[in-house]
Amino acid sequence: MTTTTARTVRVSGSGRAPARRRRVHGRDLVGAALSLPALLLFAFFAIYPGLRVFYLSLFDYSLTAPPEFVGLDNFRFLAEDPRFRQAVLNSVFYTVGTYLPALALALALAVALRRKTRGLGWVRLLYFLPVATSWVAISVVWRLVLHPDGLLNETFHLDVNWLTSSSTARWALVIMGIWKETGFFLILFLAGLARMPEEVHEAALVDGANPWQRFWRVTFPLLKPITAICSVIAVIRGFQAFSPQVVLTGGAFDTEVVNLFVYKTAFESARMGRASAVAVLMFALLIAVTLVQLRVFRRTDT
Amino acid sequence: MTTHRHRRRFMAFVLAAAVAGTGALAACGGDDEGGDGNVTLTFWTHTHPPMIELNKTLIAEYQSKNPNVKIEYQQVPNTEFATKMLTSLSTGAGPDIINMDDNALRGEYFPKRLLSPVDPAGFGKSSVAEVEAEYVPGTLDGAKDAEGKLYGVPSEFNGTAFAINTKHFKDAGLDPATPPKTWQEVIDYGKKLNAAGHKQAFNFLYLHSGWYNQWFQTLANQTGGSILSADGKTAALNSPGSKKALELWVELARTSGIADPKTSSRDATAPYQDLASGTQSMAIVYPWSMDQIKESNPETYKDLAVVPLPQADATAQPVSRVYGYFWAVNAASKRKAEAWKFIAYLASARDRWLTDVSFVQPVKGWDTSAAAKQIPFIDVIAQAYANGRYDQVGPHWNEVQDTIHKAVDQAVFDGKPVDQVLNEANEAVQRSIGS
Amino acid sequence: MKRLLVWALATAGGLAFAAVLAYAVLSALKPGGEVLAVPLRWWPSRFEWHNFALPFEQTPFARYYANSVFVGVTVTLLNLVTCTLAGYSFSKFSYPGRNVAFVVVLATLMVPLEVIYVPLYALIYDLGWVNSFAGLIIPAGTSAFGIFLMRQAIDSVPDELLEAARLDGAGVLRTLLTIVGPLVRGPMAALALFIFLMNWDSHLWPLLVASDDDHRTLPVGLAAMQANNLGASGIPMMMAAAVLALVPTVALFLSLQKRFVEGVAMSAGLR
Repeated sequence: MTTTTARTVRVSGSGRAPARRRRVHGRDLVGAALSLPALLLFAFFAIYPGLRVFYLSLFDYSLTAPPEFVGLDNFRFLAEDPRFRQAVLNSVFYTVGTYLPALALALALAVALRRKTRGLGWVRLLYFLPVATSWVAISVVWRLVLHPDGLLNETFHLDVNWLTSSSTARWALVIMGIWKETGFFLILFLAGLARMPEEVHEAALVDGANPWQRFWRVTFPLLKPITAICSVIAVIRGFQAFSPQVVLTGGAFDTEVVNLFVYKTAFESARMGRASAVAVLMFALLIAVTLVQLRVFRRTDT
Repeated sequence: MTTHRHRRRFMAFVLAAAVAGTGALAACGGDDEGGDGNVTLTFWTHTHPPMIELNKTLIAEYQSKNPNVKIEYQQVPNTEFATKMLTSLSTGAGPDIINMDDNALRGEYFPKRLLSPVDPAGFGKSSVAEVEAEYVPGTLDGAKDAEGKLYGVPSEFNGTAFAINTKHFKDAGLDPATPPKTWQEVIDYGKKLNAAGHKQAFNFLYLHSGWYNQWFQTLANQTGGSILSADGKTAALNSPGSKKALELWVELARTSGIADPKTSSRDATAPYQDLASGTQSMAIVYPWSMDQIKESNPETYKDLAVVPLPQADATAQPVSRVYGYFWAVNAASKRKAEAWKFIAYLASARDRWLTDVSFVQPVKGWDTSAAAKQIPFIDVIAQAYANGRYDQVGPHWNEVQDTIHKAVDQAVFDGKPVDQVLNEANEAVQRSIGS
Repeated sequence: MKRLLVWALATAGGLAFAAVLAYAVLSALKPGGEVLAVPLRWWPSRFEWHNFALPFEQTPFARYYANSVFVGVTVTLLNLVTCTLAGYSFSKFSYPGRNVAFVVVLATLMVPLEVIYVPLYALIYDLGWVNSFAGLIIPAGTSAFGIFLMRQAIDSVPDELLEAARLDGAGVLRTLLTIVGPLVRGPMAALALFIFLMNWDSHLWPLLVASDDDHRTLPVGLAAMQANNLGASGIPMMMAAAVLALVPTVALFLSLQKRFVEGVAMSAGLR
């Protein structure tokens, strides 16, 4: 398990009931029943569809006609499909392009702004605000920002057609993504830094290390667990991208990310079997990437 | 003590039941089958304000003539219209009466068996042939499946024409009485218009995939190109004729410089916004476009003239394109007979469709009727039909249209070579229709 | 000294970030032609407060808003109930299968909606919940993150208190309501805020499930409005609509900032 579930010091005698007692009390049965509402909801609306997506991926299914078994044909089609490949590339580009800078920026800002000084609270707030905005509404705003005569071009005296060119549309979405997501990870990094014992920092100061060394040798290694979580969350969020692409470009100009591709395949082309196959592949990819990330971070754990 | 426990437990169950109950109640929302002889019909259309007005008027009339019928009318935003119609029909959540274009009907709904054939009783006729006899031959093809079965009657039947802003022409020293007859002349005139300060001389509308498809088909009809082969079994986007069509588009929209595709019409609130506001000098139009402009921008409307569609080849017979929207009935509808009666009523108001909305119902003699004579440029419009034909459509047509959309974006906006773009598009179309 | 420089840079960055929001609000107040006027002028020549009435006049914006509020509040309440009950169950009781159930719940965190929404939609269709509030609310009635959070929170309630209550004869639910509940008010508030925000933001699912005007929520409605108003003349209305849509979550954030930050941190498993 990751170390982030470390519990804070508790009043003696609190915590969780042990997994097994010698006999199950009637009270425990009532207690068990309390989890039923949530578990039933999960069973119907998370587990069942989660399993069914694998099943549907083997069919050709358009919702009106009965499903037709096609075995692995959907996967074979996708393996050779340029549009699917492009969608995956678009998603990877968006994820890496947005979240790598966002994480780096958030980390830098967290270190810079960690003090409880009054003014800094306001500065932090400025970065938090984008997180509190809803994706669709803020995409509408960014559509204006990215207009050829909008805020971005005007401020930097550029003449870029952000949303109507294959070379720049994906960058436009990345810029918006970084703006929106940095604050989220800033919150996480700040929380992680706050939990770091002050003594370690003092020790490094006494040692005579300069700020840069302090950061790399002391702070960063201790932030590994949080960085690991952040990067896992980042990848998941990256693949969940949908609203900005829909509002800003409709998926045109190489911004059709996997999520949008699934939506169009399932609901515009009514190919639900193939869409399920994409979902299965996405799921496998996410799991694989997550495992790789966790392993990478664990291996470099001091 | 025990009573406390029981009471709390009871409340927990009540809570759970309430949650489940709201779900059940909400689920019973569905369509009502009033057992008291009352009929509710649901009717969806896309969003075109003049059409919506007349629909509402006709609905009110129908409801007062048939007090036991209630019509729930919903307008769907245009960019989601295609998806929403398909999803709703596919999931059985669609309306009783639909109003859809021929590409969608033939390319998506017929293959998926989502519609119900025409019921002549609704029209007071004893056979479908009698219903068909009223219309100009060939104009109903847009609603016929591969076996020739008819699934709808036209709400609008559009031939393709061209509009010019006569005031802009005069500014540029051009004579509105000699409009451009070829696309090359459009470019030449365009350059003169640019010189006179009208920077957006001509451009296409870059709205959703359906629009891209319209323009491509229009051009391809003239250059001898097509999306599919004659037998409809293979893609033909990389044929010489298709390549010429896209090259023509690129020339008109990008290389000639007579307008900037990046700003024109990407910013249109409604289709033809730029033409209506006097920003654009020339545009490909349909009868309903002119009516829309007349209502939204009457000042500019006075300056506009409708002329025949320019051609790719001046020496050949003029070639154009037609398309239509049809009223049809959902195969899942539980009120088919009543639905067709209502459709028949809508269709019977043909004169008003023509005068109020400029929607042509292609019944025999429509172009010489009194109502038609009130339409300015009716002769140009009537002529447009003679040279036009319906699109050839294949299965999975939504995907094909998306492919065309992408190909045009790449050629016109990104400037990628037409050959490369169409080769990729051709493969994509082949994959779509072949799976 | 170096520190001041760093802070100054960070502040400048923060102002740049905030500039986008300022631009949105100011654009909403400008007369139509001024928004995209070149060169950019920040301040409106006059304040067109009427722009904020446009979404209500021209579209069913009020309905979208009301729907979002209704769905958001209902989903939040439902989550509070289910997650607290489940968190309590997992934390303070022992029964066979408890740990397995909890692991299964956590596993669903790895399976985002995006992976399952196609069969989930088919299920909703089979249930007849398409275009109904049930389809919007019930599948979102609980969340793994919420359960995890509440379990963490209830873990820290001292067992002695519960023991004392039990000896007093209080039943399971009574204990929850009178002892545990008050002690976990903070995390519950954070959870409520977080769930409300996530739901307010939800686009993909409502787009599929509830796309008729009666049931449409704000994100879906706003996207549709944008699609119908791509041009310059639609900008004042769209900006006004966007600003109006942003207000609830930003206001909630500003007033409950501590809770919000707590909620985000807790969503990553950090206390």
